[in-house]
Amino acid sequence: MTGTKHMKHDKPLALPIKKIITESERVKTFVFDYDFPGEPGQFVMCWIPGFDEKPFGIIKKDGFGFMISVAAVGESTKALHMMEVGDMLGFRGPYGSTFNLPDFGSIALVAGGYGMVPLSFLAQEARKKDIDVHLFIGARTKEELLFKSWMEEIGVIIHPSTDDGSEGFKGFNVQVFEDFVTKHPPSFGHPHVERALRLPEGGPIKDLPFEGSTPQGGGMLSKAYTVGPEIMEMKVAEICYANNIPFEVSLERYMKCGFGICGQCCVDPVGWRMCVEGPVIDGEKLKQISEFGKYHRTASGKVEKYPWNKDK
Amino acid sequence: MNLSTNLAGIPLKNPTILASGVMGVSTSSMKFVQENRAGAVTCKSIGHEERKGHHNPTVYSWGQGITNAVGLSNVGVDDGTVLLKEMIDALEIPVISSCFADTVDNLARVAEKLMASKPVAIELNLSCPNTENDFGLMFALDPEATTRAVSQVKKIAGNTKVFVKLTPDASNIVDVGKAAEAAGADALTATNTLSGMIIDIHTKRPILTNKFGGLSGPAIKPVSVRAVWNLYNAVKIPIIGTGGINTGEDAIEYIMAGATAVGIGSGVYYRGIDVFKKITDEMSAFMEKEGYKSIEEMRGIAHKS
Repeated sequence: MTGTKHMKHDKPLALPIKKIITESERVKTFVFDYDFPGEPGQFVMCWIPGFDEKPFGIIKKDGFGFMISVAAVGESTKALHMMEVGDMLGFRGPYGSTFNLPDFGSIALVAGGYGMVPLSFLAQEARKKDIDVHLFIGARTKEELLFKSWMEEIGVIIHPSTDDGSEGFKGFNVQVFEDFVTKHPPSFGHPHVERALRLPEGGPIKDLPFEGSTPQGGGMLSKAYTVGPEIMEMKVAEICYANNIPFEVSLERYMKCGFGICGQCCVDPVGWRMCVEGPVIDGEKLKQISEFGKYHRTASGKVEKYPWNKDK
Repeated sequence: MNLSTNLAGIPLKNPTILASGVMGVSTSSMKFVQENRAGAVTCKSIGHEERKGHHNPTVYSWGQGITNAVGLSNVGVDDGTVLLKEMIDALEIPVISSCFADTVDNLARVAEKLMASKPVAIELNLSCPNTENDFGLMFALDPEATTRAVSQVKKIAGNTKVFVKLTPDASNIVDVGKAAEAAGADALTATNTLSGMIIDIHTKRPILTNKFGGLSGPAIKPVSVRAVWNLYNAVKIPIIGTGGINTGEDAIEYIMAGATAVGIGSGVYYRGIDVFKKITDEMSAFMEKEGYKSIEEMRGIAHKS
């Protein structure tokens, strides 16, 4: 994947903002003139001097370099949106586990909200390996379909959905993904699948292939990747389990240190740190994380149930 | 190799103890540490009320060590007592219960509530360097304040051992350690982090939101070894040597200075969650090579030569 020219930075590295791109009413992209190390799925701890330090997914867009895309949702991200070219931000990282791509075939990316941030970088790297990428992107409205033109440019097959129906399917991206999956059940007659099955152990045969569809007619989905609100990730996981699709999910938990010592982002009951063993978790390992889709811990360490969780 | 040791009557399979403030947020995180062979664990300090701690940045590495000002985030003593009970029930190794408060009376109140979980030991965090604005100066800067804190808690501690965590910021850490012992402390933890400050010259401001932070890691090891050495000469109660222990050799250095057990914190960052396995393996290898049969044989040996 992307080369790592620089060492990991564990002390915040101050970088001036080189360029600011307004993506939508709520989202801005900040570009930096520095080859920050990192691979798809990993994150940086971004210090917004005077406000906070927060984890953001790493993007390294070809022709642009290292960048972060941020929605103005809280006090610190709103402060970040007020910043100008030349203002300084501090970065530590890269931290966390990475997505793992198959060697060939087709993949599905299911992105909700700002889940598009890490998945855009993954889509770029997948296209470089000539992997077909089906993107199931959901947003409130057409204007908020993040990185749509970039994804089109690199040849990603987009299956959009919007809450208001202003583009693509009116409703949730999960429904589009489920339709796609159930209409294209596993088929072992496909040439890609046959090739996969012939490979020696340790090859992509582990990733049970199933047939998908491409505009060229026919293809093979080797794996799915999902990032977004946890309720959406939970639904995607259910679909993947039900249809035997290997998948990876990025699980967000409150973080302090980012490098594995504070214990704040450990998940029950295994105690894995989402900044070291996560945030990217394989579907099989995910089965061991009982709190997935149910609750998380706040800055104090207190357990907070998700609103949809009716347990106890 | 037999690495067992006895800490104030508490048997430990090996002398490595997870230091307070590291990984000790939940039962799951503690079990993850146990799986990686810690001899005992200390929970994150529990206080009177729920605290979110300081805004990030709260922890980072500056090159020669880690600095932190987490600000004593915790769930508060009511939930904390339940959590502590859960940890004690779930773990096979001893769980040391760290606690803090703003006043001596509140400290005794917090400790008393924690007693409901029947912890084998309670560690009085009299030395958090990062909450001066909220709580005033650390108790452990002053022998008298330390005496008051320890004697109040001892009154209600029953069979629970009382450990006292000392600060290297004290003008004379030995006086504070002696005061703790005289007030009934069963062991001393030496040391907490060392106060410091790091300024980013590009943004022209301290990086931590709290501005000041506690330094840990390799940079402070000689400071804490010196503290353990001096305390060993002055007190009879056991000492948990803590500060910059990353290797078995580091742990043995503390034991030779007089430590009974060793606290591991930043080492989780430097060597991974399996730092406890690595340290105990390295201790065994060293002892085998040098012909030591027990931890006891090495304790304080540097004072004799």
